[in-house]
Amino acid sequence: MLSVYIRRPHCFYGQYTVPLQRQDLCFVWDWRHNWLKCWLKLNCLVSLNFFSFKFRIHLIKDKDAIDHYLSMNIKGLSKQEAAAYRNSYKKNICIDMLRQGYHKSFSELFTLIQKWNALREAAGPGSAIWQQKSLEEQPDKLDQLHHFLTRAEAAQRAEYYEEVYNNQLKLAYCFNNTEDKWLRNYFYEQCLSTAQLIKIDGGKKESEAHANMGLVNEEQGKSVHESAEHYETFHQLTLGRMWNDETADQMLENKEHQQAIKTLIKAFEMAKKGGDKKMEGEAAYCLGLAYHSAGEEQTAIIVINVTEAIEYLEKFVTVAKSAQLSRSLVDACISLGDIYNERGNYYKACEYFNQAFEAANTLTDLPLVDETKVYYGIAKAHNMMVAVNSHTDAADHVSIEYLLAWKENRSDMCTDPFTVGKTLVMKLFFLFPSVFFNEKKNDHTAV
Amino acid sequence: MNVQELVPLALPRGRPLSCELCGGPAQLRCGACHVTYYCDVDHQKADWVSIHEKICQLLIPIRTSFPFFNSEKERKHGMEQLLHRQKHLVDFTHKVAQKFVFEGKHEEAIPAALHSLRFSIDTCGPDSVELVPAYLILAEASTGLGRLTQAEEYLSQAQWIVLKTSDCSNGIQSKLHRNLGLLYAAKGNFEESLYHLATDIYFASCAFGTHDISTSGGYFHMANVFFRQNKMDIADSLYTEVTDIWHAHFSRLIQVQSQTLTTLSCMLFIHLKCFILNIDEAQQAEASQVLNAILDIREQAPKQQPAKTANVVHALAMLHYLIFDFPKASHVTVTVCDPVIQDCIRIFTTKGAELRLHKLKLRDG
Repeated sequence: MLSVYIRRPHCFYGQYTVPLQRQDLCFVWDWRHNWLKCWLKLNCLVSLNFFSFKFRIHLIKDKDAIDHYLSMNIKGLSKQEAAAYRNSYKKNICIDMLRQGYHKSFSELFTLIQKWNALREAAGPGSAIWQQKSLEEQPDKLDQLHHFLTRAEAAQRAEYYEEVYNNQLKLAYCFNNTEDKWLRNYFYEQCLSTAQLIKIDGGKKESEAHANMGLVNEEQGKSVHESAEHYETFHQLTLGRMWNDETADQMLENKEHQQAIKTLIKAFEMAKKGGDKKMEGEAAYCLGLAYHSAGEEQTAIIVINVTEAIEYLEKFVTVAKSAQLSRSLVDACISLGDIYNERGNYYKACEYFNQAFEAANTLTDLPLVDETKVYYGIAKAHNMMVAVNSHTDAADHVSIEYLLAWKENRSDMCTDPFTVGKTLVMKLFFLFPSVFFNEKKNDHTAV
Repeated sequence: MNVQELVPLALPRGRPLSCELCGGPAQLRCGACHVTYYCDVDHQKADWVSIHEKICQLLIPIRTSFPFFNSEKERKHGMEQLLHRQKHLVDFTHKVAQKFVFEGKHEEAIPAALHSLRFSIDTCGPDSVELVPAYLILAEASTGLGRLTQAEEYLSQAQWIVLKTSDCSNGIQSKLHRNLGLLYAAKGNFEESLYHLATDIYFASCAFGTHDISTSGGYFHMANVFFRQNKMDIADSLYTEVTDIWHAHFSRLIQVQSQTLTTLSCMLFIHLKCFILNIDEAQQAEASQVLNAILDIREQAPKQQPAKTANVVHALAMLHYLIFDFPKASHVTVTVCDPVIQDCIRIFTTKGAELRLHKLKLRDG
């Protein structure tokens, strides 16, 4: 039994005693007045007079419990989270960076955005840049910037500059599209300044950075001088360094060859324009070498590459001769000789090895002299192998006489083409006896 | 300080006089202005030392009742004048309070800040943005005194006002968050503190740029938090940033000054006085506090970094030079005994020393 006070404006007011069951009532807690309202099935509002007092006390207690329960178990939004929803994405990212102490990344990002806005303002409405979206409105780009910049800064704090460089380079690659050219260029510049701090890798990164800067300058159509400068620094740095790096991944190496050749050609052209003989020679030499090493690995394009390599190396030899660069002359001659040797042009090979030998003699560097000597000898031997083979193949009397005469008389004879390289042929005999045994057999059968 | 005893019973009814500081019933009156009341000598003394000495006479026209004006125009003019005076007092008291806070005299800052708050309420109403700076100073002083609950109360007031005002300036928001950051740092809640300091730096950068001296304060406090968290590398990089900002700022000032000097070299020394205005007092106090703190940390660090220390010392020397404190400027450079640092400084200051000599000559001649 419940004593209820029924309010129903146009029907009846008054206190009634109504027999009620639980399911007849729909309880609603009125938060404003802190009392319980319930709806009867009669569809009228009932406020509990007599019982409500008890209910109220009970339920208020309950309400505290509910609050406690909610605060413990259901996480609402903290002030920070609420602020995060209210703020722009850019602001959130900035605050996030700063909280972790990445203040340099923050100021970099901030200045970049400001710079872009300034550029846009300067260009005015109607220009191309006016139509573009601001960096602030592109969360994915902001994310990328945030990720790499913070990592670069962490590495910088630990003075691990290679990591810094890598991150900056990645950023530059991220923005490698027409719209974000300015960002890419900016990060290339940063790369260059970082690369200058790296000392361990022997200037590889620096040369890479210089090459990138050369590219940027060239694209921007700045003075030829500036990009030429970058390319020249690049190639000076690469000289004799980059190619020694055999530990590097083979795949990467291959890729780099192609890139390097491209840049080297540019460097060579720049050097030609610059009119510096020495530079030009060095560039040509480098290019030759690059082709040479690339050609060894990729037989498919060997012909084109080797001929080009020869061309550049020969150019270099002539330049080196006139510029009195004995050391590089020796190197170039050896490479040239090597190439001719491989291609079977032994006569030319002999010639170049001979040149190398002479140049080495003037240098008074004994190991070098020995090396060139051996090369010369090998070339000579190869040269002679042709003659020996032709004689043995001919298998007529005169040839055999010739061979026998040579075998008996092992002194140096200027007239006889065999004798000069004979010692080396003997060496070859020990190395590849089968060749000679076959010859002997042929001899017997001929006899 | 002029004390006048009051007899509360002799006062007119219905107009209770309350103490300037605590609001309790008044027993004393300032004998110089006759419009300021106190409950005891201690409060009067505190007020006198802090602000009353400077504004005693300015209070008279504000607190005495209006003379009778004959025309509407005059009344209007009178009201405007009153408002103008009050605004001036708001600015002045605020500046004084700020200076005290920068100098670390928190106890003395509170009466001045209270005055600032009261005058702002009088002029702008109880929930306008103009109250925020006053609340902030009060909070800062309270934090400095270790009254954290009090400080939190003030800051909550300020934050509520800022939240309600949608177009609040970046500068004010930055200050608010800086104070919140400091409060949480004092409470030892570093995460919260870092969040607020980061927000501060963001707003300050929006308002002034990332490499402005107004932003450097945020960096400095953040560095302190990281320092206390024992993240030395981050703290170190932030300290370097702060030093660089001040260093660049002073260098720029000195450059401007030297240019003006060379053009006006025949002028009298008195004319040079105007250069002092290059740095106002609050800035000066902040600079010396920040730089000295950094110098201490650098000197006590287990790993010495002479170049960075030298940079700090050079900035300090420039500061002293700019505020015409010549003996101190040379003193600072001499006290650093490490020969390496000495060397660095010599390189750094050669130009500064020339300027200094130049200026001294001017003063003599």
